[in-house]
Amino acid sequence: MAAIEIRNLSKSFGAVRAVDDVSFTVEAGTVTGFLGPNGAGKTTTLRSLLGLVTPDSGEALINGRGYTDLAAPLSEVGAVLEATSFHPGRTARNHLRVLCTAAGLPAARADQTLGQVGLADVAGKRVAGFSLGMRQRLALATALLGEPKILILDEPANGLDPAGIQWLRGFLRFLADDQGCTVLVSSHVLAEVEQTVDDVVIIAKGRLIRQGTLAELTSNGDRGVRVSGPEVERLRPRLEAAGATVECPESGVLLVHGAQPETVGQAALDELVVLSELVRQRSDLEQVFLELTGDPAAPPGPDPVPALTETPGGTS
Amino acid sequence: MIRLVKAELQKVFTTRMVWGMLALSLGFTAIGLVALSLLSGMQGAPPITDPDGVKNLFSQAGVGLVFAFVIGTLLITGEYRFQTITHTFLVTPRRQRVVAAKLVACAGVGLFFGAAGIALAFAVGVPALLIKGGSLSLIDGDVVRLCAGVVAAMALYTILGLALGSLLRNQVAAIVVGIGWVYVLENLLVALLPSVGKWLPGGAAQAVYGVSSPLGGDYLPAWGGAALLVGYALLFAVVASATTIRRDIT
Repeated sequence: MAAIEIRNLSKSFGAVRAVDDVSFTVEAGTVTGFLGPNGAGKTTTLRSLLGLVTPDSGEALINGRGYTDLAAPLSEVGAVLEATSFHPGRTARNHLRVLCTAAGLPAARADQTLGQVGLADVAGKRVAGFSLGMRQRLALATALLGEPKILILDEPANGLDPAGIQWLRGFLRFLADDQGCTVLVSSHVLAEVEQTVDDVVIIAKGRLIRQGTLAELTSNGDRGVRVSGPEVERLRPRLEAAGATVECPESGVLLVHGAQPETVGQAALDELVVLSELVRQRSDLEQVFLELTGDPAAPPGPDPVPALTETPGGTS
Repeated sequence: MIRLVKAELQKVFTTRMVWGMLALSLGFTAIGLVALSLLSGMQGAPPITDPDGVKNLFSQAGVGLVFAFVIGTLLITGEYRFQTITHTFLVTPRRQRVVAAKLVACAGVGLFFGAAGIALAFAVGVPALLIKGGSLSLIDGDVVRLCAGVVAAMALYTILGLALGSLLRNQVAAIVVGIGWVYVLENLLVALLPSVGKWLPGGAAQAVYGVSSPLGGDYLPAWGGAALLVGYALLFAVVASATTIRRDIT
C-alpha cells in the first residue's frame, strides 16, 4: 500500500480550479519532491491530504485512510505547512506542550523535538522574537512530536538561509534513510530539492504533469555527448557503427546521441584523435522543470528538446 | 475529550492576555467596590450597610463580565489570527470536538474570573462594611446566591464570547460586535422595547445575579436566565460548527 495516495483530486476556489483531477502515489520510505510553480495547486493538494481543505471530488489518503479517520494523526503523519504560525506571546516549549496534551503525547516530547531541530536553547523564549528560520524549525518540531513515519512539508525551505537549507536537506535525508520515514516535500524551486529527493511529482495549473524518479526526469534532459577537437570528424564512422547518431553543429564539434562518454573516449583513443573537450550535455534541471511546467503557448526555447514535449509519461 | 479541554486551558494560561483581562476585570471590580464604600451614605448615595446596599456592593464582583467575554472570543479568533488553528485541526481533525472542548474550557476560565472577582469583593467589602458600622450578618443567603450568580454569569459570558468568535472568526469584528452589543445595542433595544429586555443576554445575566432591575423591569428567574445564556451560546456554537468552523483552512 502506498503511504500517500492522491486519487482524482479536484478542488475549486470560486472560479479558480486550483487542483484538477490530480492522481499520484508516494511509496513508503521515499523522499518525493512535489514540484510546481507558485499557484500550481501544491498547497491545496497537501491541505486536502491533511483534512484542512475539503476537496470537491476525489480522495487523498494516508496509509489508505482519510486524515480525519486517523485515530492518532500526529503519530502517523507530521506536517509543516505554509501560512501556519504561532501565538507570539507563547514560548516555543509551551506551543509544543499544548499540542502534546491535545494529542495525548508525553510533555517531554516538546523538549526532545526542540533538541532535534536545534532550538533547545530558546525553548523558553516567546515566539515573537523568533526569526523566520527559527519558526520554520519550530514548525518542523511540531511535525516530529508524534514520531510519525510520514512527513509532509510545504515549501519548508522558505525563509531559511543557505545554511538552514543545507541543514534541512541533511535532516530530511536522515529521516528517510535512518528513520525510514516517507517524506513528501513541495517546492517551486527544483534546485532546492534535487539533491534530496528520490522521486518527483510535477504539477502545473492544477494538473499533474509527470510523476517519476529524479533519474528519469534528468535523463530526459540528456542532450547527448559533446566532443570537440580539430579532427573529431574521424570519429563519426566508428560511433555510427556503435549505433550512435552523430550531429555536427559546427566545425570541429560533434554531438553524439545514444552513446556514453566512455564509448566516445574509447573511439578517440582507438582513432588517436586529439580531443579538446568531452562532456555529457545535460540541460539545466531548472530548464527542464521550466519546460515541463511552463505555458505551452509560450514560444519554444532556442533549442527545444522533443522528448520533453511529451505529456505525462507512463512511469510507475 | 478531557485532554482536549486541558489543552485548551493550557492555551489560555500560556499567554499573558488572560492575566491582562483578569487585571482589567478585577480593576473595574475594585473601582466599584472602593467608590461604593467611600461614598456610602454620603449625599444621597445609598449606604452599603443595608441589605440592598450589601448586595449592590458584592455585585461589583461581576462588573468585568465583558472581559470574560473577550477572553472567550480570543480563544478561537486568536487561533485564526495567528494561524495556530492549522495545528489545532491537525491534532484534532474532527472540528466539532475542538469547539466542544473550547466551550468547556471557557466555562472553566469564566469560573476562575468569577471566583477571583468574588475573592476581591470579600477582601474589600468585608472591611468596608465593618468600617462603615455594618454587621457581617448582612452577608446572608442573598449574597451567597448573588456570588453563585456572578460565577455563573462569568462562565456563561466567556462561553458566549467563544461562540460569537467561532461564528465571526475575525478577532476585531467579534470584539467590536460583542462590546458594541453589551454597551450600546442592547441598552438601546431595551430602551425602545423594554419587554424584550429579559430575553436578551444582558437581561439574562441580571436574572442570573438575582439583583432587582434598576429600571424596574422584570427578569426571568435565575435558572431561566442561565438556561437562556446557555441557549444563546449553544445556538451560536452550533451555527458556527455548521458554517465558519467547517470552512477550508488555507
